[in-house]
Amino acid sequence: MEDPRTAPRGGPLASYRVLDLTDDRGAMCGKMFADAGADVVKIEHPNGCPTRRIPPFLDGIPGRDRGLYHLTYNAGKRSVTLDLERPEARRLFLRLVETSDFLVESFSVGYFDSLGLDYESLSRSNPRLIYLTITPFGDRGPAARYKSTDIISWASGGMMYLSGIPGRPPLQMSLPQAGLHAGAEAAVAGMLAHLERERSSEGQRVVIDTQACVVWTMLSESPYPLLHGDVLRRSGVKSGGQRVSRTLVYPCNDGHVMFLLTGGAYSHSAEQIVEWMEEEGAAPDWIKAVDFSTWSPEKFSTDLSDEFVRLVGECEDVVTDFFSRFSRQEIYRVALERGLMIAPVATVEDIAVDEQLAAREYFQTAWNEALDRELTYVGPFAKLSAAPLARVASAPQLGQDNEVVLGEELGLRSEELQYLYATSVI
Amino acid sequence: MSGVAAGLRVLDFTWYGVGPITTKYLADNGAEVVKIESMARPDGLRLASPWKDGVAGVNRSQLFANYNSSKKSITIDMSTEPGRKIARALVPHFDIVADSFTAGTMDEWGFGYEQLSADDPSLIQLSTCMQGQTGPHSRYPGFGNQMASISGFYYSGYSEKEIAPPQGPYTDFIAPKFACFALLCAIDHRRRTGEGQFIDLSQYEAALHFLAPAVTDYFATGTVLRPEGNRSRRYSPHGAYRCADEGAEERWIAIAVQNDAEWQSLLRILGSWPGPEELALHCDRLDRFVELDEYVQDRIGNLVALELVAALQSAGVAAYPVQNCLDLRGDENLHEFGFWPWLDQTECGPMPYDGMAYRFDRTPGVLSAAPNIGEHTEEILGEVLGLSSGEIANLVNEGTLF
Repeated sequence: MEDPRTAPRGGPLASYRVLDLTDDRGAMCGKMFADAGADVVKIEHPNGCPTRRIPPFLDGIPGRDRGLYHLTYNAGKRSVTLDLERPEARRLFLRLVETSDFLVESFSVGYFDSLGLDYESLSRSNPRLIYLTITPFGDRGPAARYKSTDIISWASGGMMYLSGIPGRPPLQMSLPQAGLHAGAEAAVAGMLAHLERERSSEGQRVVIDTQACVVWTMLSESPYPLLHGDVLRRSGVKSGGQRVSRTLVYPCNDGHVMFLLTGGAYSHSAEQIVEWMEEEGAAPDWIKAVDFSTWSPEKFSTDLSDEFVRLVGECEDVVTDFFSRFSRQEIYRVALERGLMIAPVATVEDIAVDEQLAAREYFQTAWNEALDRELTYVGPFAKLSAAPLARVASAPQLGQDNEVVLGEELGLRSEELQYLYATSVI
Repeated sequence: MSGVAAGLRVLDFTWYGVGPITTKYLADNGAEVVKIESMARPDGLRLASPWKDGVAGVNRSQLFANYNSSKKSITIDMSTEPGRKIARALVPHFDIVADSFTAGTMDEWGFGYEQLSADDPSLIQLSTCMQGQTGPHSRYPGFGNQMASISGFYYSGYSEKEIAPPQGPYTDFIAPKFACFALLCAIDHRRRTGEGQFIDLSQYEAALHFLAPAVTDYFATGTVLRPEGNRSRRYSPHGAYRCADEGAEERWIAIAVQNDAEWQSLLRILGSWPGPEELALHCDRLDRFVELDEYVQDRIGNLVALELVAALQSAGVAAYPVQNCLDLRGDENLHEFGFWPWLDQTECGPMPYDGMAYRFDRTPGVLSAAPNIGEHTEEILGEVLGLSSGEIANLVNEGTLF
């Protein structure tokens, strides 16, 4: 049987190497390349990449191979340790740059340059190198060197202001993920630059702006002040944007469901809910007479009459009572059968047992040597018919590939490796 | 045509959010992306606000424009046999065909991958829908709000009892990055092998990559990710705190204290911690996040947000205002990045766009305005299929090109 650690993983980008020097501001970039089969080499400080120290940890036990963030977003990568503040390490690093196609870094703006590892220097070693720099605020503005974390990005990019309940604090996302947006954007931009490199044989530097990535998570809300004179506000479980506010998240008997009462071209869901209520003996006569076909989405911006606002509220009250009889999965089941636009507010438990994901054999497992245990992971982000993405592989232990990469590939002798280790260079 | 994607041609049947944002990456970088729409069935975002000058119109939606910059639009009524014939004749002239319909739609039109690639094995086709092309839920219709709910992002808020989902169709802004990356992988594969392929991108399966740690944790330990507001497992204090209002406008700032040194810096600015212990150690602060939130809030309620952020950052503490849309428009960092271009649209004049979140230093992309509906029908059908103006006029009159 082939050793899964050394067997070719396949994937459309199997012939490329990526040097990954990111923390949580960019780990997703290398992860996407690794999913596509590229040889992604994490260059870690001998103390370990900061992503290893991100909580929570498996079973609540800390350890550099136990962080859930590390286990998932470093999956499929290799690990080489180099203390880049040491000249010996930088010399080895430059040799790795020569054989690499992409480099991605997310250090504080200016840090990598201060080590002499700026784009100009590295492109002398490898003119084809695509050098991806992930920044919190771009590289030129007054906040370029500001400190930043995930919540700072959500605040700076405007999404946070729009999320949460009025009167309560604005909200971040459930798990930190502004850096995931930036990393994924970097992966796309890197492959776009690669398209051009295949024509020109030249690499280039690409800068990713996390703040701008967060702006791109909004439904184009930023121009409202310019075009409509409105500044949109957070609306909690209500739908934002329109003047007649509507409920977006309804409680049910074991959690919540998402449903927006609307009509016009989308009246099917509302009409079908009334029919379903009727079958359950729960539809008051007046609601059967409501003509949802006149409730076009625009009406919620234009018809502010008391009559309409009251009717919407009364319909929502009936729907609220009705949904409270059922569980979120019971409601989803009916939605699937009848093509209704109602969705469960799913927990990770719902996702784990979801029949659609099971039918598509989505989740994958891999054996983790360090933990001596099998773990389950999210599956491929796309199904490519001719060049499928690589199967998931475990995240690397710290420096586990030093011998292969520095020894076999760069040709360092065992004595040299021992010396570098003894002097904390690797 | 310049730009990193110059020379690529995309026949783009996508509409609404995910598909158009995916092909926009290529269009903004020089690919020729041709949208197929019809007056009977325009891209639904053409009917959605915000509108230029607040006035509705099929060529006035900023939302549509924002996701369709640099593209062309032709109108073909795909519900008609002659319409499908014309679209079918276009396919061999394109490298990529993309759609974001409910699964099965393209096959019903005779535009499934097997049908289209039969005489062109180098064709790349992307189909993206909510839950993928196969499986029991493949034909479940809907939009990004539902997807964000199904894929776990709506289970968010201050606590289990106080749910508050992220604003908008959040997953619509995750899936395009994976879809475009997959397309670029396929393009590279074709360059090396000559072989095309079909890409089935389930927006659900892509979006779950943003909750990957919670998925792995659940399978391993049964732990269910719960809403926890602005709490961090990593930093404390950590959250959004309300400063002095400006007129009727609430002013909040986000603060994240990452280590002991930053905590000391915070204390120097906000005044000493009132409790009996010092909380000098990170681990103590993580446990006491509720009290710490109260302490920070208590000290900053009357301070001016911008001044406090400047003071915190110059002391090395991560902080930034919670910006509203007007603030964003004035944010100098975004301006420096060239993020707020205005582009002239042929019918309604200058329109504000979101720029690119990335910048190629050597070969920057250049946005151009989104197309009016059918703006390029004559140009494309003339140049690509060699149809004359008269033939095109006839097809318009009979409703095929409408």
